[in-house]
Amino acid sequence: MSIIQQHSAASLSDAWRTINIDALQEDSSINFDTSTLHPPLPETSESEVRQINAQVRQLLRGGDTEGALRGCLEMPVYNGSDAAKEAHLQTVIEVLQSIKASEMTPMLQRIYGTPGGSECLDVLMKYLYKGMANTASSGGSAPRTPTRVTPQQTGFSQVGGRPGGSSESTGAAMSVLLSWHEKVVEVGGLGSIGRVMTDWRKV
Amino acid sequence: MAAPEVHHLFHNPIADHSFSADRKTLAIARDTTVELYRKVGDTFKLVDELKGHDKTVTSVDIAPTSGRIVSCSQDRNALVWEPSPQGYKPTLVLLRINRAATFVRWSPSETKFAVGSGDRLIAVCYFEEENDWWVSKHLKKPIRSTITTVAWHPNSVLLAAGSTDAHARVFSSFIKGVDARPDPSVWGERLPFNTVCGEYLNNSAGWIHAVAFSPSGDALAYAAHDSSITVVYPSGPDQPPKAVISINTQLLPFMSLIWNGEAEIIAAGYDCEAFRFKGGINGWQLSGTLEAKGRPGLSDGREDSALNMFRQMDLRGKVKDDTQLKTVHQNTITMLRPYESSGDSVRKFSSSGIDGRLVIWNT
Repeated sequence: MSIIQQHSAASLSDAWRTINIDALQEDSSINFDTSTLHPPLPETSESEVRQINAQVRQLLRGGDTEGALRGCLEMPVYNGSDAAKEAHLQTVIEVLQSIKASEMTPMLQRIYGTPGGSECLDVLMKYLYKGMANTASSGGSAPRTPTRVTPQQTGFSQVGGRPGGSSESTGAAMSVLLSWHEKVVEVGGLGSIGRVMTDWRKV
Repeated sequence: MAAPEVHHLFHNPIADHSFSADRKTLAIARDTTVELYRKVGDTFKLVDELKGHDKTVTSVDIAPTSGRIVSCSQDRNALVWEPSPQGYKPTLVLLRINRAATFVRWSPSETKFAVGSGDRLIAVCYFEEENDWWVSKHLKKPIRSTITTVAWHPNSVLLAAGSTDAHARVFSSFIKGVDARPDPSVWGERLPFNTVCGEYLNNSAGWIHAVAFSPSGDALAYAAHDSSITVVYPSGPDQPPKAVISINTQLLPFMSLIWNGEAEIIAAGYDCEAFRFKGGINGWQLSGTLEAKGRPGLSDGREDSALNMFRQMDLRGKVKDDTQLKTVHQNTITMLRPYESSGDSVRKFSSSGIDGRLVIWNT
């Protein structure tokens, strides 16, 4: 191999393109913790979540669905264990499922009209997306905290055993979330979807 | 309200536009060149192309008094174009950055300009007489990400910057020998270079797309990617601000905003139309769009004949032609600039966007 060939082989290879030059720079963004950019969020423990959930359920039993919905949206679990977050999601979905379709829009409009209502709708949107992600992605293998939304057997695993009832209830849960999504967009606009994506406070 | 003046310049995105003081010359950042247009009658005619950058030009600004044009580009350079009888002469600026330059603006005094960059810093550039060269000083701390936008305070010392780390900040860019000592203001009294006079973060913390000082310089507004605009009223150095008012809208995010007096802000972005916000220190709210809905000339209200309907169905498989937006701009508006002002209030402003249109609006 001539020198020219060697040379061009070395420079033509594009291995240098995959060098992460940011890692070599001391003050680059990958060398610092991006969470330090934001003030820390108050941590919510599991017992607190249980307490909120109990209150919400009580409101639900009393027939105050709007109060129940507000109650769980005003106390989102941003900083907490996975179990706490999951438990809160479960409560939110429970509340959503217990509200009639005809009540959705007027209730959302009432909530949006009150101070802090826009924030509440953004939180609701976050839970809707989280709920959809759970129903859509969780495979049957991993032992997850069971939610009311039954995990779906995804993709080819369905070929083996017909999941029967489970997929139907998943579909039902998804349709609840989707109809809520539609109503929230009607009231809160596309801005609320954008805020779910930009927000660093994840539920 | 008179109809807006629409100029469809070309079918390319306009990264930035700037008018000269007499509003006869228009500079447009298009691809790797800066195009200069001259107003002839009612239209703008291309008269010159400033070629000097070899990557996308991201921003351009004409200094109103001196007529100098500054442009910056993803090739990490900024050029100052000096008007001369033989045309514009470029001078390279020593930016010392190793990422793209994203945004450039002349200070109101025209002795300095600020270049935002992807290198997590702002280069404040000024002319050094003894070396006959534009040199820069870096504002670095505490910027943690790309600077997307900058705006000058009327005193030419304070500089607001928005960044993709979701913070809007106010810095001092005081340079000895170039600036006169600024009068004390709500932002602070002693202002050595790189003093951080304010640092603001939204609740949901989206990228900052636009910042602007109010005409008095005593309030700061910024627009973020969470479809919000936020107005900050500082109370004094090292004290929490008097008020921080955030308006989350139902709309898509805003890319640019301008103040019209102290009680009105005009913002535009991904919704392809401009919106008006009204308020003050006690609260702000969205008061509506500047687009005149149902303007004559829009095909919307036109009655379609049955023949036309079936022809459309045959040609396109649908009855309605929905390829046209109902707004004047047909794509995202990326830049708003005051066009004609009287005192503090803006009577006309210009907007440009991805659709290659430049529109002059009446407020």
